[in-house]
Amino acid sequence: MTLSGRFVLLVALGVVPIVLFGPDLTAAAGVLALWLLFVLLLGGIDLALAASPRAVTVERMLPTRVRLGESVTSELFLTNTGHRRLVAVVRDAWQPSAGAGLGRSRVVIPRGERRLVSLTLTPFRRGERRVEHVTVRTRGPLGLWNRQATLNAPGRIRVLPPFHARKHLPSRIARLKELDGRTSVMVRGQGTEFDSLREYVRGDDVRSIDWRATAKRNDVTVRTWRPERDRRVVIVLDTGRTSAARVNNEPRLDTAFEAALLLAALTSVAGDRVDFLAFDRRVRGRVQGATGAALLAQLVDSMAMIDPELIEMDWAAVPGQVRSVTSQHALIVLLTSIDAAGASTGLLSVLPQLTKRHTVVVASVLDPATVEAAATRGGRDEIYRAAAAERALLDVARVSAAIRQLGADVVTASPALLPPGLADRYIALKAAGRL
Amino acid sequence: MSRPRLESQTVIAARNGRTSGEVGGVAAARDPIVTTVATPTLRALLRRFSFWVVAAISIVAVASVAVFLSGANNAAGRALAGDNAAPAGSMALVEVLRQQGVAVTLADSLAEVRDAIGSDSTVLLYDENGYLDGDQLTELTALAARTVVVAPDFLTLQAVAATVGFGGVSKMESLTAGCSVPAAIRAEELLPGGDTLSLPNRDGHPLITGCFASGADTYSLVQVSNDTTGGIVTLVPDARVFNNENVAGYGNAALALGLLGPSDSLVWYLPTLADLPRTGPPSLAELTPGWVSPALVLLVFAAAAAAFWRGRRFGPLVAENLPVTVKASETMEGRARLYARSNARLRALDALRVGAVQRLARTVGLGRLAHLEDVIGSVALITGRAPDEVRRVLVDAFPRSDAQLMAFSEDLQALEQATSQAVRAGAVPASATHEFVSPPAERMDP
Repeated sequence: MTLSGRFVLLVALGVVPIVLFGPDLTAAAGVLALWLLFVLLLGGIDLALAASPRAVTVERMLPTRVRLGESVTSELFLTNTGHRRLVAVVRDAWQPSAGAGLGRSRVVIPRGERRLVSLTLTPFRRGERRVEHVTVRTRGPLGLWNRQATLNAPGRIRVLPPFHARKHLPSRIARLKELDGRTSVMVRGQGTEFDSLREYVRGDDVRSIDWRATAKRNDVTVRTWRPERDRRVVIVLDTGRTSAARVNNEPRLDTAFEAALLLAALTSVAGDRVDFLAFDRRVRGRVQGATGAALLAQLVDSMAMIDPELIEMDWAAVPGQVRSVTSQHALIVLLTSIDAAGASTGLLSVLPQLTKRHTVVVASVLDPATVEAAATRGGRDEIYRAAAAERALLDVARVSAAIRQLGADVVTASPALLPPGLADRYIALKAAGRL
Repeated sequence: MSRPRLESQTVIAARNGRTSGEVGGVAAARDPIVTTVATPTLRALLRRFSFWVVAAISIVAVASVAVFLSGANNAAGRALAGDNAAPAGSMALVEVLRQQGVAVTLADSLAEVRDAIGSDSTVLLYDENGYLDGDQLTELTALAARTVVVAPDFLTLQAVAATVGFGGVSKMESLTAGCSVPAAIRAEELLPGGDTLSLPNRDGHPLITGCFASGADTYSLVQVSNDTTGGIVTLVPDARVFNNENVAGYGNAALALGLLGPSDSLVWYLPTLADLPRTGPPSLAELTPGWVSPALVLLVFAAAAAAFWRGRRFGPLVAENLPVTVKASETMEGRARLYARSNARLRALDALRVGAVQRLARTVGLGRLAHLEDVIGSVALITGRAPDEVRRVLVDAFPRSDAQLMAFSEDLQALEQATSQAVRAGAVPASATHEFVSPPAERMDP
């Protein structure tokens, strides 16, 4: 049971009869008692005439997925199975980050009928957003006292990573196609393999004429080449404690998602096979053997539920995990954070095992705030800040140098530039035939 | 305790716009929608909390019984009150008088006495706190045919019988009547050890009688007859004579009944604050109209209703796990504060220098691992500065104060700027023509 503002006003209005009909104390007290009785009686009648909120059945219709930053409509069908006309306010109790606002709507449902209550959700946090209850507050004809009941109506919606980096995809695909035989560049070299023989057409490079085949066919024939295909790419994501830190108010993990998604999209266009692994001390997410459109769908689906864990990354287990994915030569992309030398010992100790068999790229987010601080030299505090920033950058440079010495490649960039940077590095490696 | 009843369920067949056109059999095959209610019904609530309700009620019951029982044995209460059954009260005496047919009226103020008094009434006055003034006492004795004043104070004696004084505590083992007052004669003896009154010059007042003598002129009962009004005032200095504890001993009961029971009506008057005369300006309560207090009470009710209106939740709270928010630059900030707090000027300057040397090496086209002397030489060559000066800025200068630290930091920046300008102007860098801007946000491998 709840009260309304109207009831409070009605109680307060009792001042008028008390002043008018109560000149002395006893008469005024009598009027007060009568007024309270009257008000309670009205409230009780109103409550008794209100429709039962328990007689409402709820049916929920929800899309299963939404990309972060986009809006979806949550539909709630309310059926009044009671015997009275139901005038109510309905609250759909979404979690705050589902972006449903207050989630309250007014409905009027005649007996036995059904009404749709729709709500626009704009989630502002990745992961699974849930709703458990629907609360119905029905009012009586006078609107003084309300009846209220909470109904179980569970629902969930999966909020996928936004993949803002997809704006870089067209330009990178264009560069990839320049490598490919579909463009005029048809030179033999590293990173290409023999594709086919075809008739010479004007404009082809004369150097690619295959004289033996020309002699056989009695027609000028050229060899065509295409980039290597069906290479393996393994993306390993560090979901340990360092991935929770925020750079530009975005967790490192989310930047890593963006980079991984762009790389995976590019790789599937290039015809290579991508495997994805999110790992700290156990596997948090794994996508294996998916191709084409299913690959990205599966990736965002598994990423949606991954959150940074407050434990240290177990680098010693990474080679084993990679071996379980592939035993062939592959491009291993380690999305992690490069910090001080002490914190990177684990990574450095297992890199030789990986670089022995595979091509390894270590990608890390660099904090633009640090770079900016290193160049800001105002007063005393800013100089100390610049010194600390310079020291941090030196640490990163030193660890990067150590990684390169162990035979791996390093990509560090600010959050906005890391995904395209990693994609460029992939294209460069592909062009160099190092996959 | 039994578990709460299962939540009530409402089951209906799906009533859906899309299925409305289907034949009944197909529609009935659909699963019915089941909506369970999370809010417990009133009955379920009562059942769940029945133990606590019963426990609270029994605690209140036990507590009130205990208070009632202990209150009965308590000696407290108004002394000589006619409705007080405690040892200090006088309920026993009043009840006996009532059984004997005397109409006893308990009065708290002189106004009540005026209302209750008849032409042949007896009044018992016990003014423990001295509320009454002389005029009121005179009025009282004039009203009543017989007045029994218990434990009179000085003011009372002055007003009622000016010649009577105080006699101290009686030292007698036993008190015998020894006078002509009928009630005293019937009582024969009185509770010893109480206060007495003295009659120093009795000869001038033949209408004064003293009973239960303790010494030469001290008495435990003095009766004064007023010859003008015909009223009789009896002074009993010892209040214990009339209380429940002692009334049954000696001749106390006989004396009390004899003094208080000669007529059909008795007014038992214990003065209270109501007898004090009103002085000063009228209080706020007298000045405000009668409806103010009820209106305030009503507003309190309205405020309570408003609190309930605003405070009632619209369903249960919704919980959500929040992510940690740690800025990645926090270690950097912390290190900067450590430097600043410990005044680690040289360490800070060295960090700046190492960074500057690496950038300079790249600017002049040497590798990242180039030797320091090579960098100094190249920079001096390109900028045209003396090698010693470049060495001072990059290595030697020792900051002794914050001002020096700032100056050296500016020197470093100036050197970097000069080098990059010189390189841009074409002063033969060793190889590449990287131009120096503030350190790039993107650090691909150099």
